[in-house]
Amino acid sequence: MGNYYDELFKLCGFEDEEIKKERHRIEASFERLGIGPEDMDTADSWVRQNHDVSLEGVRKLLGAWLKELIDLVLAKDEGKKIVYFGFPAIIGPGLMLSASSEEVFVSAPDMVLDHTMGQIFNKLTPILEAGETNGLPQGHALCSLWQAKIGGIAKGMIPVPDLALASSYYCDMGSKADDLVNALYGVPIAYIDGVMDSKWGEYPKYLPERVHYLGAQINQALEKAEKILNIKIATDAWERSQKDSGPFRANLVKLVELMRADPVPISICELELLEALSGSSTGRGIREGIKAMEILLIELEKRVKAGMGVTKKGAPRVMVRLGHTSDPRVTRLIEDVGLAVPLTFILGSWGGVKVKPKGNYNTPGEVIADYEMTGGYYYGTEAQIKFYEKAIELMKLDGFIAQYLYNCRPVATISHAQKKYLEEKTGLPVLALEIDNFDSRAYSAASLRTKVETFAEMLKAKKQH
Amino acid sequence: MLVAGIDIGAATAKIVILRDGEILGYAISPVGYDVRLAANEVSKEALKNSGLSISINDFDYIVSTGYAREAIKFANKTVTEIICHAKGAHFMIPSTRFIIDMGGQDSKAIELDLEGNITNFAMNDKCAAGTGRFLEVMANILQVESMAEMGPLALQSKEPCHISSTCTVFAETEVVVLRAEGKDRKDLIAGLHKAVSSRVAAMASNLICRPDAVFTGGVAKNSGVKKFLEEDFKTKFLIPDEPQIMGALGAALIAQTKLIKQT
Repeated sequence: MGNYYDELFKLCGFEDEEIKKERHRIEASFERLGIGPEDMDTADSWVRQNHDVSLEGVRKLLGAWLKELIDLVLAKDEGKKIVYFGFPAIIGPGLMLSASSEEVFVSAPDMVLDHTMGQIFNKLTPILEAGETNGLPQGHALCSLWQAKIGGIAKGMIPVPDLALASSYYCDMGSKADDLVNALYGVPIAYIDGVMDSKWGEYPKYLPERVHYLGAQINQALEKAEKILNIKIATDAWERSQKDSGPFRANLVKLVELMRADPVPISICELELLEALSGSSTGRGIREGIKAMEILLIELEKRVKAGMGVTKKGAPRVMVRLGHTSDPRVTRLIEDVGLAVPLTFILGSWGGVKVKPKGNYNTPGEVIADYEMTGGYYYGTEAQIKFYEKAIELMKLDGFIAQYLYNCRPVATISHAQKKYLEEKTGLPVLALEIDNFDSRAYSAASLRTKVETFAEMLKAKKQH
Repeated sequence: MLVAGIDIGAATAKIVILRDGEILGYAISPVGYDVRLAANEVSKEALKNSGLSISINDFDYIVSTGYAREAIKFANKTVTEIICHAKGAHFMIPSTRFIIDMGGQDSKAIELDLEGNITNFAMNDKCAAGTGRFLEVMANILQVESMAEMGPLALQSKEPCHISSTCTVFAETEVVVLRAEGKDRKDLIAGLHKAVSSRVAAMASNLICRPDAVFTGGVAKNSGVKKFLEEDFKTKFLIPDEPQIMGALGAALIAQTKLIKQT
């Protein structure tokens, strides 16, 4: 006999057998999350409004996020040792821990809550508000991802972890917010000190000293994790983790190739589901994501062959930093005004124009550090900007939307430097646009639409000339 | 060929009526609570000013712009206010290459090419610093009748106060403190104008200010802001006749072009 959530789970790509098998876990996690029959209509219309559910691959991706949510909520009850890391962060250590023991659950819970409680159930705001009343008050320029994480713990929706992997490698708030998690809940922290600063002109020839330092930091964090979690990191953990997540990255490369088509076959809102999963999950979510991508790639190949897309053929093509993690309406607006988005920074950094690791390192930390150094995001302003520059030819771009969160120092600073550099160097227009990608409460639809629509008209006029 | 452009902004509604390319009339009125009612009222006033005894529905084409552009049901098309302001200013002053538009709730900097096409722009985000609202709040505290009347007072200042707060609410507190310290009202007003101008200059720092530079929007009626903008941008700013209607004029010009293309 069916239950009130069956239709929603089918909409999110679950098979009947999966729902049946998962039923008690779904119900237990829903009870913890405060989700009931009264939420189903909203969720159904919210998902249909936000995502292209005509694509089975997209439905399966939503399902992958739901599975990650259930695993996260029930991790403690199911005897897992839980490790949280922040987004964006170095995912390598998390992948290694995950690959070393089936007892360990490693995740970025803020992103999981954003993509499920936000994108599927439209119930993120009370979680953010709980974060605000537990040490991260509103109006203090604090990141909503951390409000989601602490709010989720405070409301008892997600478990208190056994360990926090804190890195200020990219986000300068991460380690401070983890200090708060420690103060509130006594969670031990393994710090990974960052080496973000780099000289302009250095990339991609990053200094070996930086790899050594970051590698040593990662190694000591892994050693601490071994002690706290009482596990032994397998000697082949890195290779295994790469083998597990390798198909995801390989599929991202194929996806980037498909996104070169005109018209682009899929929306930035769906791309965001993919790119965020690759930086948030180390377990079932990523494995299910791989399956979803395989279905999606076949569907998109058909669309490309048929000349089908989500915007008109010949629409101006822009690269954006990343999609909205909890409310796709905000980024959908870019396509609504007639702009095609073939690439985001994160998607590109996983599946596009990155440099190869040097590969001359032996310790796990150094191997991860070497790998992360190539991605641009973890390198510095210059690498990020040059990354965008490289994408022009690959994706036949007409412009850039350099979004920034006013409360995110690395992103807010770089967007203006990015605008200046790219406009001067490439001649392509750049719109520096304030969007809080993690919190739609800070969203002025009218102002945003005016800017994006004007930018679109500007690009269309330029293209016609 | 009778067309109109209507601009429903945060503070005022503006409409311009064009007949065969000539401005037949215009009107400006406060928006109030109901934007649709404001649109109807300002339309009636403009029809009266133009000597037309017809209804708004009798127009050949109408373009709406401004924050509430989507709410204007009698419009045939919506266009953003940035595009409309550029179009209107370029029509009035064809040599325009750079525009600062300051309205009730937002400010914009727009770069134009020789043909009047937008090549770059910047617009304020959520903050009211650098907008007309900032000056309106301050006019109220300093007991000046209107924002426009603050301009001549600012020009009389010999030593403008330094207002450091970017936030309107905090700047209000700062003014209250400076007032208690006995600072001259003219110096306070000049300091506020300088602060508004510097916020806009910072917003436009990635753009190139080429002559002719043009100042539009309701705040352009304030001579004090113009003076400080000229200091910050190191250029003279031209002000078109009735700078507040540039958005509506641009919308009317777009309506005219659309109608010609249709026919």
